[in-house]
Amino acid sequence: MSFIARLKGLLRKEQLDRELDDELRSHLEMRAADNLAVGMSSEAARIDAQKRFGNTTLLKEDTRAVDIIGWLDECARDFRYALRMLQRSPGFTAVAVLTLALGIGANTAIFSVVDAILLRPLPYPEPERLVRVWESSIKHDSPRNVVNPLNFLDWHDHAQSFESMAAISGLMTNLSSQGRPIAVQGMQVTPEFFSTLRVPPLLGRTFIAEDGIPGHERVVILSYDLWQRQYGAEPKIIGAKIDVDSVPYTLIGVMPRDFSYPKFKSEVWTPLPLTRSEEWKGGRFLTVVARLKPGVSLSKAQQDMLRVANFTVQARPDNNKGWSANVFPMLEDVTRGVRRPLWVLLASVGFLLLIACANVANLLLMRGTGRLRELAVRSALGAPRSRIVRQLFVESLLLTLAGMAAGLVFAQVGLRSLLALIPQNAPLPRSEPIAIDARVLLFTFLASLFTAVVFGLVPALRLSRVDLQNALKQGTLRGGVGGHQTLRRSFVVAEVALALLLSVGAGLMLRSFARLISVDPGFSPEHLLTMHIWTSPARYHDNLKRSQYFDRVLAEIRGTPGVQAAGSTHFLPLTERISGSCFSFADQPAPSPADSPSAQFLIISSGYFQTMGIALIRGRDFDHRDRFNSLPVAIVNHAFVDRYYSGQNALGKQLRVCWDIEKPVEIVGVVADARQAQLQDAPKPTIFLSNSQAPMYFATLVVRASGDPIQIARSTEEAIHRVDPDQAVSDIQTMETVFSDSVSSPRFQAILLLVFAGLAVALAMIGVYGIVSYSISQRTNELGIRIALGARAADVVRLVLREAFVLAAIALLLGLAGSIALSRVLQSLLFEVTPTDPVTLASVCFLVLAVTALAAVLPARRATRIDPLVALRYE
Amino acid sequence: MNKPKNDLLQGTLALLVLKTLARGPLHGYGITLHIQMVSKDFLRVEEGSLYPALHRMEQDGWISADWGTTENNRRARYYRLTSTGQKQLAEEEKNWERLTQAVAQVLRFA
Repeated sequence: MSFIARLKGLLRKEQLDRELDDELRSHLEMRAADNLAVGMSSEAARIDAQKRFGNTTLLKEDTRAVDIIGWLDECARDFRYALRMLQRSPGFTAVAVLTLALGIGANTAIFSVVDAILLRPLPYPEPERLVRVWESSIKHDSPRNVVNPLNFLDWHDHAQSFESMAAISGLMTNLSSQGRPIAVQGMQVTPEFFSTLRVPPLLGRTFIAEDGIPGHERVVILSYDLWQRQYGAEPKIIGAKIDVDSVPYTLIGVMPRDFSYPKFKSEVWTPLPLTRSEEWKGGRFLTVVARLKPGVSLSKAQQDMLRVANFTVQARPDNNKGWSANVFPMLEDVTRGVRRPLWVLLASVGFLLLIACANVANLLLMRGTGRLRELAVRSALGAPRSRIVRQLFVESLLLTLAGMAAGLVFAQVGLRSLLALIPQNAPLPRSEPIAIDARVLLFTFLASLFTAVVFGLVPALRLSRVDLQNALKQGTLRGGVGGHQTLRRSFVVAEVALALLLSVGAGLMLRSFARLISVDPGFSPEHLLTMHIWTSPARYHDNLKRSQYFDRVLAEIRGTPGVQAAGSTHFLPLTERISGSCFSFADQPAPSPADSPSAQFLIISSGYFQTMGIALIRGRDFDHRDRFNSLPVAIVNHAFVDRYYSGQNALGKQLRVCWDIEKPVEIVGVVADARQAQLQDAPKPTIFLSNSQAPMYFATLVVRASGDPIQIARSTEEAIHRVDPDQAVSDIQTMETVFSDSVSSPRFQAILLLVFAGLAVALAMIGVYGIVSYSISQRTNELGIRIALGARAADVVRLVLREAFVLAAIALLLGLAGSIALSRVLQSLLFEVTPTDPVTLASVCFLVLAVTALAAVLPARRATRIDPLVALRYE
Repeated sequence: MNKPKNDLLQGTLALLVLKTLARGPLHGYGITLHIQMVSKDFLRVEEGSLYPALHRMEQDGWISADWGTTENNRRARYYRLTSTGQKQLAEEEKNWERLTQAVAQVLRFA
């Protein structure tokens, strides 16, 4: 009988209906035939038969009701019975439910992420027509390059495949209106942006074509959150004046709460005025979104864009030679970085669920052999095979339901921790919420059903096929259920090998992470508060004015109670930001820029080293002598001296720098090395310039507090506002947070791998436990004879464990071979640990062996308690 | 054709069906024919109530059913008495005898 037919047998209602129809029809036909035989006309015979029968529909209903009630009754009986059976063996039930819960929970949690990011359509009408268009360059190996403004205008005007097309540029914006100034993430967009996405505003209007023309009234649109937070959700706000970077704008709209654009956490939108002016000829910085015309395929749009790109090459060959254009579906484009890892993750947890199924199937078989007599008795009492299969299946279904309930709890907890762990510097590409909702629940339910069928039906069919009569006679079962012992063993070997592989990975990552966080960064992050300020170009266009402004801000902060020291740098350490440039030695002839050596450059204030706790080795720090127009000076780090002035005194030497300073700079100090871009990067030769002499538009302030740095956050901000009340301050956080965020990616990887390894080890344990228990139940008689013949407990345990250890040894070899084969993959993720680190390998092998032994010893101890009399009675 | 008024008492249908099946497996139509014939057309089984009754008895485990072929080569569902059904029949027969005796006595001495 096919698997499907059996499944259908379980859902019997349809079959019952059909049978009833057949039965009634046969009755009517027989009556009509008899009527014919006594001489009625065929018509009369049929009518009489029908009449005698009365209302067929009513009759059918009545009969069917009896059938269905009976069926439900049987089911209820089966459920009650199953519940009793499960209650009778709480240990088995707990292990099975837990196994299933782990599998189902992991799948639910990962699926909710996959669903929210990869499967759900983007939150705009007809999202399948949205695409992103990029410039592409084979020479720069860049299939998705940001776009030049003039090229965008050409695309916009000449491409024929798109209903509309918009360009986007993101920026940090200082916003102020009556209240405090705030720094927000903003987007400058061409007017068609909102109509391309087809999202209407909550209040007011979105941009129209005139808004993009330079010289027109400046207009701004706010996000729902910003409107709530800063403007008290005031509905009459439309038309109000708001200062954006110290320039007045008119507020024309507020977007709905759930509006977002992938990868931009924008709260303010202003029009991006693009004109065909020469100033746009050079750079590439726009991202482009477009909506395909209805019925236009992606490949047609791509062809169209190739044509238009060709046109731009001919129009401006200097800038566009070697460049073309690419069109990608928006969803795919937005999620491209996480697509593969997420599918791999989902496949891994799917695999985990299969292992869980196999384990529970093994446990069921193991328990089933113990129940053969019970089943045989039921069969002898007249229960048909289908009934026994159903009985066993109902038990599996109950286990699954319990597993699903517990799994959902795991999933909820797991998902929350997973989302909390996602590294700040590698956020998910979509901002829609990830949660366990109806869609995910449906998935969980289907996955559970699948689980129940896989692990429940196979043992049920296998058990019911055993010659139960024979079983009743002998009370034992020889190989009858065994069948695929080899298959089952290889499965357990694979489980243990996989557990080993994952544990090796997790062990290596943990060691690597421990090494990483014990790296001395070269500064002391304790008691440090950091914050970012970005000066408005409209106000501080003048270099001198800007440098004085920063000096005054720092002076004001230093005077604040609780502040020990303060300084500034243009790039904060451990934020993966560096700036490099070229330099040359002033006492040698200037080489061409291409032949010049290069170094890392940092623009800092006086007091920065003292604040950070970076030691001054020689010379002096920047101070009041280093003014905007005074002799330019520089400080270099130890790595720089080592590399370029080894064995010499660097003080007093002069460098030409490829920076905003014309005159050569004189080295006045040497400082100790500190880590800059990331903790794992060794210090690079660095040239420090003074912010007073080469002022930047932005700075990260570092403030050393005498106590808890968060306590002085407020007073520091107030100090900044005493100098300029319109200055926005952003990213206020402690250096310890910065430090912790900087290692969040390796931490995330280590934890994820650790969780997976833990799950794999738990499942492998259950697998070993299952197979050893099963093998004992198969060998009860043999063991009984041995005990009767005088075998001691230790002998029995050894006998039983031998099998487990052979399996574990094979698994160990396979797992080790696997982890060596995969070492190249891990290499790039590890810091100062080799992928074949012997300490890790040895301790993981030991751990896996110990766990296997533990899982095998539990049932083995039971084997020693076999009563030879009971075991042999049925021989 | 006037319909006889003597519809079967509730419960007696089961007894008659069980008794009929005690002779051997039979389909639903056969059961109505048999009862009608043996009672010399006095008892007529209401066909509308026969099938619900049969299915109920099947669930109670008194009878079991299987598809078979009639002597005229028609497919029909054959009901057969189970061992439980046999016990039930004995019980119901005893009940019936007690009932009829009681009724007869009442009639005699009333």
